[in-house]
Amino acid sequence: MTRQRHPLEDLTALLDGALPSDRAAEVERHLAACAACRADERRLRGAVAALASLPPPPDLPPFFGARLEARLREERERGRRPALGRRLSGLAAAIPHPRLLAVAGAAAAAALVAGMALRSWLDTRAMVRNLDLLQDYETVSAVGVDTPEDARIVAQLDQLEPEEGTP
Amino acid sequence: MGPDPDAALMLAFQQGDEGAFRALFERHARAMLAFCHHFVRDGARAEELAQDVFVNLYRARDRYRPSARFKTFLYRVAANHCLNELRRSERASRHAAGDEAPPDPDSLPSSAAAPDEVAQGKALEAAVRDLLARLPEKQRAALVLCRFEGLSYEEIAQVLETTVSAVKSLVHRATVAAAEALSAFEAPLGAVGHR
Repeated sequence: MTRQRHPLEDLTALLDGALPSDRAAEVERHLAACAACRADERRLRGAVAALASLPPPPDLPPFFGARLEARLREERERGRRPALGRRLSGLAAAIPHPRLLAVAGAAAAAALVAGMALRSWLDTRAMVRNLDLLQDYETVSAVGVDTPEDARIVAQLDQLEPEEGTP
Repeated sequence: MGPDPDAALMLAFQQGDEGAFRALFERHARAMLAFCHHFVRDGARAEELAQDVFVNLYRARDRYRPSARFKTFLYRVAANHCLNELRRSERASRHAAGDEAPPDPDSLPSSAAAPDEVAQGKALEAAVRDLLARLPEKQRAALVLCRFEGLSYEEIAQVLETTVSAVKSLVHRATVAAAEALSAFEAPLGAVGHR
């Protein structure tokens, strides 16, 4: 048999009872013959004992369950709240007369178009105001953001001083 | 593998039985709080994290498949959440630190002087907190699951979705780091490893 290498990684597994029995016996034979490995094994055992001697974790605090229940109620509420489309169709179903339904549909469509137009106008104004910044972001997105340093620069684009000679 | 009563509760919850979820909470709330506490060594933060674990479990009910033991599934939800939160807070603190140079590993808080200066229990607690903060995240998770939660290497492999031999290596490296960080709490010994 060739001389066995020091089974350092197996020492921890031996302490944890995680080695197959034949390998455990082999490592124990090595330990019996190797003072250096016995010293390592003692240190590892000491660390395991120190960790086991930590004070126990705190008990469940009062109202732990009640606080969770409150959060879950919110979850359920969110789950129960129907999507906008379903709410609109529910509203339409509640209107009895076909003519009223048509009126309600036309009003909803008009409101939707007006809202979109207003949003688009506001977006355009914001774009015009921040055209330079927008172009910077477009450049960045074309080049790509690969490192945390890139991401930091992108986050601070609006604070960058223009280089000399650039308009 | 015998029948898993928790898996049956989780399946009942999937079918809409909210009482089954409450039963799961009652069976595992204490263990999850302990797990989160072991992970972050901070009472208030552990409480938040443990609450989040159950909210995540509530949301993830449709993803549960009874192919693995429920306990494995729950620890996976908890470990992933704790690791994500640690990543997020580390990113936030790095961002807050701005352009400061990374800390010199030699200047990291040391446990060496603690035992005779403050009460042994508190000093050990602080040393373990420092140790956990320094460990790579997979080692940290493996150490907590092995040393504090008492999971077998096979169970840890399932929770961390890796191999048993990878877990063996993670647990060993984390235990070596613990031996070095906690050497002040034992008789003076050198570093582990004589090669």
